[in-house]
Amino acid sequence: MDVPPSDRIIVQPATAADDLDDEPVVHAALILIGGVRIIVALALGEPFGAEVTVAGLLLLLGLAGAVRRGLRPRVVPAAIVVVRPMPRWWGYATAVAVIALTTAIGLVIARQLALADLGMLYLPAVMLASLAGRGPALLAATLAVAAFDFCFVPPRFTFVVNDTRHGVTFAAMFLSGLAISTLTERLRRQQALAQQAALRAHTEEVRSTLLSGVSHDLRTPLAVITGAATTLRDRGVEVPATTRDELLDTIVAEADRLERMLRNLLGLTRVESGLAPAREWVPVEELVGGALTRLDHVIGDRVVELEVPAELSAPVDPILFEQVLINLVENALKHGAPPLTIRAARERDQVVIEVADRGAGLPPGDEERVFEKFFRASSAPGAGLGLALVRAIVEAHGGQVTAATRAGGGTCVRIALTATAAPTPTAPGEPS
Amino acid sequence: MTDAIVVVEDDPSMRRFLRTTLTAHGFRVVEASTIAEGRRAVTTAAPVLVVLDLTLPDGDGVALVRELRTWSRTPVVVISARDREADKIEALDAGADDYVTKPFGVGELLARIRVALRHARAEGGAAGDPIVTAGPICLDHGRHQVTVDGAAVHLTPIEFALLALLMRHAGKVLTHRQLLREVWGPGAVEHVQYLRVHMAALRRKLERDPARPHWLLTEPGVGYRLRDPDPGT
Repeated sequence: MDVPPSDRIIVQPATAADDLDDEPVVHAALILIGGVRIIVALALGEPFGAEVTVAGLLLLLGLAGAVRRGLRPRVVPAAIVVVRPMPRWWGYATAVAVIALTTAIGLVIARQLALADLGMLYLPAVMLASLAGRGPALLAATLAVAAFDFCFVPPRFTFVVNDTRHGVTFAAMFLSGLAISTLTERLRRQQALAQQAALRAHTEEVRSTLLSGVSHDLRTPLAVITGAATTLRDRGVEVPATTRDELLDTIVAEADRLERMLRNLLGLTRVESGLAPAREWVPVEELVGGALTRLDHVIGDRVVELEVPAELSAPVDPILFEQVLINLVENALKHGAPPLTIRAARERDQVVIEVADRGAGLPPGDEERVFEKFFRASSAPGAGLGLALVRAIVEAHGGQVTAATRAGGGTCVRIALTATAAPTPTAPGEPS
Repeated sequence: MTDAIVVVEDDPSMRRFLRTTLTAHGFRVVEASTIAEGRRAVTTAAPVLVVLDLTLPDGDGVALVRELRTWSRTPVVVISARDREADKIEALDAGADDYVTKPFGVGELLARIRVALRHARAEGGAAGDPIVTAGPICLDHGRHQVTVDGAAVHLTPIEFALLALLMRHAGKVLTHRQLLREVWGPGAVEHVQYLRVHMAALRRKLERDPARPHWLLTEPGVGYRLRDPDPGT
């Protein structure tokens, strides 16, 4: 199978979201309460009493919880999702901002802390900046050393360093910044690789399940084609003209059937392996028209009644949704009886599309099962993939599809898609 | 000498099928199975048309289209698999004339080849006819007027430009990007939405049943095509 273009794949951050309950809020609250109390105490030069000690404990508790969670790889994708789409400069701006903030805090509480403790203040800042990548991390580490030297190392507010011991502090600060950023980067890369591998494995699984299920059904049309073709080749002129035409028609029809099955199979694999549909506002009339044009030769002179408002559009992937309509119409032609009705309408915040026939309808209890893979409602040829693909595509669009027996006989398949904001149908340069 | 068609396709069965079919319809077929061979065949055989598969062992057929378009206007008809809309669009925007999707019937392939050859011949000739028709639709450039079955239809300037473009390329697919660039200008090539809205309006004015269009056909995910009004020649 062809690999779909990568820009249409989304790596779903679902595993991260599943695991993010209210715990982080608790951690954040603890850090905030504890941290603010301590900063106030330090800024005012209060003596460290019991209250401040409790605040310190709260802060530590919150930090420990946050770090424990933060280091668990499942949460990292959330960070990647947040950080990756940011423009490059954003990371550098963050680096500058956190160092500036840290320096400001340091200046406020400088009197209460020893020089080495002030240096420690910069570590979390560098760590934060390293989330945005290696570049911002290095910038933050460099800025941290510079700001620390300028603001706190005596003589203060100069870059002059009198004591060589401070050189060691600078090197330690810089190296730890480097180490943290390297670790973060590696963790992030591993996570991305793991996600890709998981997606690939999932695709592979979907593919092999489908293939094993369908290979029997693929063989049937192939057997018919081989049989008919070899008869024509081996018996040549002996075959009467009418039989020959019949065999040729069979070959073409079975090849068509094979192609249809492959198309559905491919569609299912693509949709179920996490391909995000490209959403565009497409006139429903155009989708229906495209599907009916493709099926012109199958429909023949059977009646298709249309109730599709001209101005109705739906937010769908035009290629996938044309396939949905093709499968529904094909299905109605195969299992139902004319006249076919295709109806589309806006119902509050939904766009509803219905394809209905006047056949025998569904046996009670099959309303849900018709959408299952390999389920076949009648003995008509097929692999039972058409409606399964319909459901997969509709659900990938966040919609629902249901089947029901109509009053007065026949089956009606109904698709409901949420479509809140309709597009403005005006284009520039056009007097309306 | 008969007209030559270069077939660039790596699958031997497909190549044999194309050779048999095209030879039976009076063309001389020059076969190539890679881009490199295709390049050589196009330069030496002076073909009237190239049939090009997009997935070739030594690269992407689109590259050959691009290269060819730097020095030649020989029409190119692309063959590609069902699920490769992005490739088709890329090939068409790079200068390919049309495409057929595997699996295709002989009739479909020959129709595409015929249209491409007709347009290639017309391009070399004199200025286009001021009055063009497609079935009941008649577009008069001189009087800036459109009629359906003789009855005048009022079109907005955008709709007129869109229809004129499709009719000039009758039978040939035009990508969203090509239509948007020609009608709205290079700044609008991403706004497929404009195009859809105006195509819907055109269908309502020109088609008997806009939900079952006979003339203004949708090529899903790719673009639009005006049905070839003259399929026989």
